[in-house]
Amino acid sequence: MRIAIPKGRLQDKVLGVFAGAGYDVPDEADLKTRKLVFDRGGIEWIFVKDGDVPVYVEHGAADAGIAGLDQILEHECTAYQPVELPFGHCKMMLIAAPGAPPLTKVATKYPRITRQFLDSRRVRAEIVPLGGSVELAAVLKLTSHVVDLVETGETVRVHKLELQDVIAEISPRLIVGKNFYRTEPKQVRELIARVEEAVNVAK
Amino acid sequence: MATNTRYPTGVHPLLVEETARRRRIEARFVDAFDGAGFREVVLPIIDYVEPYASLAGGAASKQSYRFVDREGDLVAIRADFTPMLARALAPAIAEETLPLRLFYRGDVIRVEASRLGANRELFQIGAEIIGDDSIDADVAMLRLAAELASEPAIVYNDVSIAAVLIAQSSAVREALSAKRMTSGVPAALQTIVAKLISGEATLDDVAPFAPEAAARLSAIGEALAGDDTFVLHLDDIEDIGYYTGLRFRVYAGPSRAKVAQGGRYDNLYERFGQRAAAIGFTFTIDDLD
Repeated sequence: MRIAIPKGRLQDKVLGVFAGAGYDVPDEADLKTRKLVFDRGGIEWIFVKDGDVPVYVEHGAADAGIAGLDQILEHECTAYQPVELPFGHCKMMLIAAPGAPPLTKVATKYPRITRQFLDSRRVRAEIVPLGGSVELAAVLKLTSHVVDLVETGETVRVHKLELQDVIAEISPRLIVGKNFYRTEPKQVRELIARVEEAVNVAK
Repeated sequence: MATNTRYPTGVHPLLVEETARRRRIEARFVDAFDGAGFREVVLPIIDYVEPYASLAGGAASKQSYRFVDREGDLVAIRADFTPMLARALAPAIAEETLPLRLFYRGDVIRVEASRLGANRELFQIGAEIIGDDSIDADVAMLRLAAELASEPAIVYNDVSIAAVLIAQSSAVREALSAKRMTSGVPAALQTIVAKLISGEATLDDVAPFAPEAAARLSAIGEALAGDDTFVLHLDDIEDIGYYTGLRFRVYAGPSRAKVAQGGRYDNLYERFGQRAAAIGFTFTIDDLD
């Protein structure tokens, strides 16, 4: 079984969940090496950029992984999402530039989610895909709005931006690839049960 | 743009060795179909969009390349053989000639821009039994599919079970699609949905909701007893589309890649003017090891 772990913000907490579930996970020292695949107790752990987890799992290059709903939706990943993790919750929101101008241009790291949202609201607006710091686009009036994740809302307050709409409640989930789910039911059930148990204990 | 060095996404030529490989697999399939009494039909590569407009979900039409022909009619490149066969055959079916055993082969082109890299030309071979709604036909098709794949693992279910539950609450669909219980599932369905998700559900558990489907799956299970190629997965509810009963997927080889899928669609021919039960499956040849 190969499990994809998202690098960055959630990495330590995610590894904590697997450690709590009794898995032998790679430690700090391991992660500082140049290795890409870590074999521990019959499981291969891979560390990839958070947005790439759904890609690996969708294609079966990883059997399971942890991915945020934002990345799952953006990639229209069809993997199952059997366990929701109790941390890293935030909201995908539509945020207006200072003074709340009419919705004409939206900067975002999530063009597909934004397109679907705009279509569902029957709003015709241009999407400006950016790689990061998307709030800046609204601050500098590059766009009238941005679509981004909001955790505490601090950035929004500081820059006098305006929260307008919740597009989705976002949380990280254990995702399991469909082929793996259908062909290795025993391993899948054990993985889900152990992660679920660890999550319940952590709650 | 620099199109001199590449092909459109998802298509590529097969050169000598790849072509030989495909032809070998094709020959093996054709032999098996011949041996089981299936006869070949050829379907057109394009067809009008309109006759298929009423099909449930319209998944295949959403996935097809479409264009307007010289007369101004909307036309699509073949993306799914099954509805095309139904449309071609329905007006010509005479009751006394049923059941029919047919097979077809050729390319389909799917445009799934949303799905990760799934946009491509696929070479498929499929077979159908038309005009036979018996459990024997279900079992015959499951066994034939198993025979065609190497080291097959076949997961099967009956889509009408999930349809009954989803009809009561759309939250059931969300829960079963994600494989995670949600608070939106009505109290009366919590137990059964939880059991389906956890994989503990048995035919006795689903029988109160869908007695016919449960009885039929039980009969199929008895016919297949002792062969661990076939596994009942009651929670498998994806891609219901035009299917009405048995639904199965075939995984093959050490990589456990999905190579085929099929099921029963007893209402499909009716939409094209002639009632006839039907069951079939399609292998995507390029996915075979």
